[in-house]
Order: sequence, then structure tokens, then C-alpha cells
Amino acid sequence: MEQQNSNKPRYWNWLPAAFALAGVIVFVFATYGPPASSSGFVSALKGAWSSLAPDYIASKAHYRMIPGPGSWLFAFILGMAIGGFIGGRTFKKPVTDIPPLWRRRFGDDATRRYTATFLGGFLILFASRLAGGCTLGLFISGSTQLALSGLYFGVVIFAFAMLTARLVYGNATKEVS
Amino acid sequence: MITKILLGLFSGVAFGFVIQRVGASDPNRMTRAHLMIDADIPRFMLAAVALSAAGLFGLQAVGVGRTMVLPTSLVATGLAAAIFGIGWGLCGYCPGTTWAAVGEGRLDAVFALAGGLAGAMVFAHLHERLIPLLYDPTNLGQLTVTGLVGNHALALAVVLVGLGAAIYLIGRIWHHDTPSE
Repeated sequence: MEQQNSNKPRYWNWLPAAFALAGVIVFVFATYGPPASSSGFVSALKGAWSSLAPDYIASKAHYRMIPGPGSWLFAFILGMAIGGFIGGRTFKKPVTDIPPLWRRRFGDDATRRYTATFLGGFLILFASRLAGGCTLGLFISGSTQLALSGLYFGVVIFAFAMLTARLVYGNATKEVS
Repeated sequence: MITKILLGLFSGVAFGFVIQRVGASDPNRMTRAHLMIDADIPRFMLAAVALSAAGLFGLQAVGVGRTMVLPTSLVATGLAAAIFGIGWGLCGYCPGTTWAAVGEGRLDAVFALAGGLAGAMVFAHLHERLIPLLYDPTNLGQLTVTGLVGNHALALAVVLVGLGAAIYLIGRIWHHDTPSE
């Protein structure tokens, strides 16, 4: 069951990692409020467009309801990139530009993978802004507050992601470990 | 203001580090979770929610912190979740993990992040048209389990039992391949 190669860096076990993440989440509730990531995308856009098209930004409800980049929301997602950077630099496992499962199914064509992640990114953010939050801002934050919206969103995203992964990857997974 | 920004930055760094270390920013790992061959990421997510819910209960007992419950719109929340699930299943990233994965240096995450900016921009443009059409008509309000059962402690117990059962079942049903490749 264990990896035969003991040099291979191991990801953290899920349960202690859940304690660590819950510690961060409770800290955020105490010092800010419900954590969120997808709102930070809107903050970034608001910052980028405010100087180029100030009238447009001022006229759109979605930009009026989210603060610009000088906010907790944008600082948080920027921090996530820094946290990912620190984590990646101090972790032996090299990162991939094309995940092995994808490569097994669709080959080495980087353009195809990048097109798929662009499309996937488009869908998850479009949907998050419609629902009012994402995995973090709606499912995790909402369920932590025992909100039905968060639990409902969580059940449906897992169901559709599992279904989509089956359709995209088919049975190519059987021989992949 | 500067305090809020520093708190956000600090919280983000801690959050991004933890999700990198557990492998949630690795799209291969996320896909394995969706294909039911890696039980660790979903169990990690659900356990984090359970522990956070218990922690928030403690915070509220001493009157600390701020909460904000998003409304449930039968159509908009459900439809958005379906679209989200398709995107998540396709690319293996969710909005938060794209930032951590870009920090890690994953090139495909850069494209996911760019796609995300485009998706948010398109939605923001259509907000005035889509919210009255999809969100408002079936908006049931800020429903919570606490509101349904009438008591915060009982509601917490109900949710914890549900999450615990889900974690147990995922551990039983998902295949246990060797993780991480």
C-alpha cells in the first residue's frame, strides 16, 4: 500500500491537514468574517478596469458590491499564491504543467490542456459569481455557518464534478496509479 | 484598512500553504478524488468544514467574529453548482486552488486563472440580466439548519453527524490506490 520509493515526498495526511485548515478558517471568521476566494477575482478585475473604464465599473452592480484590490478579499487570494509558492519551493515533488492522468488520456499537447483549464476556470468563476461564492466562499464558509445554500451547493458540485471527470477521463484511469 | 489587508494576506498565505501540503492544489490529485480513486481530498474538505463549524460555534458562544449567510436560490444556486461542477471536473481546479497552484508554478493553473478572470468578467457584465432571471424568483432567503431545527447546538450536531457519515462512506467506497502520482 505504501509507496515503495521512500524518497518520494508525502502529502500531509488528510485529518491533521483538516485541523490545520479549520484553524485558519476559524481565525478568518474571528478576524474578518466568512472566507472567500471567487470575490477576489472580481476585486482584481475592478482594480484593473477602474483606471481604464471607470464609468463602466461604476455602472455595474457586480463591481459595486465587491471592494477593489485594496481589500481583505484581494489580499487573501494574493496570499494564497504566496502560500502556494512557499509550499511548492519547500516540497520535493516537482509540479506538472500537464497532470499525468490528463497526459494518459489526451497526450502531451499542451495547448489542449491549457484550453481545457481556461474553459474550466471560466465555468467555475462564472458559476461562483452566479451563486455568490465558490468552494470556499459558499460551500466551506456556508456549511461552517450551517447554511443550506452551502450544503446544497456542496452536494451538487461534487456530483457534477464526479460525473464530468468520468466523462472526460473515461476508463483511462483503471491502469493509472 | 492596512490591518485588514495584512490579516487577509497572512490568512491567504496560511491557507495556500496548507492546501499545497495536502495536495489540493494538484489537479491530478483533485481529478483522482473525482474519479473515486483518492479519498483523501474530499475527506480533508469535509473534515475541515466539520471542525470549522465546531470552532465557529465556540467563537459565537463567546461573541467573537462575523458571519454572513448567503441565501439559497433553488434555481441559481443549483444551476451554478452544476456549471461549477462541470468546470471543476474538467480542469481539477477551483477558484482558490488556482492561485495556490500558480504560486507553485503550474502553467495550466495560469490558464485556469485567466479563464476565471474572463468568467467573472462575463458574469459581472450580465449580472443585471441574470440575477433577476435566475436568482431572485426562487430565492428562499438565508436558510440555515439552525433555522430549520430551531436550535444552534442541535443543528451543529445534525450537520456533524451528516459530515461524519459522509467522511466514513467516502473512506469505504472510494478505492484506495497508492496516493499522489
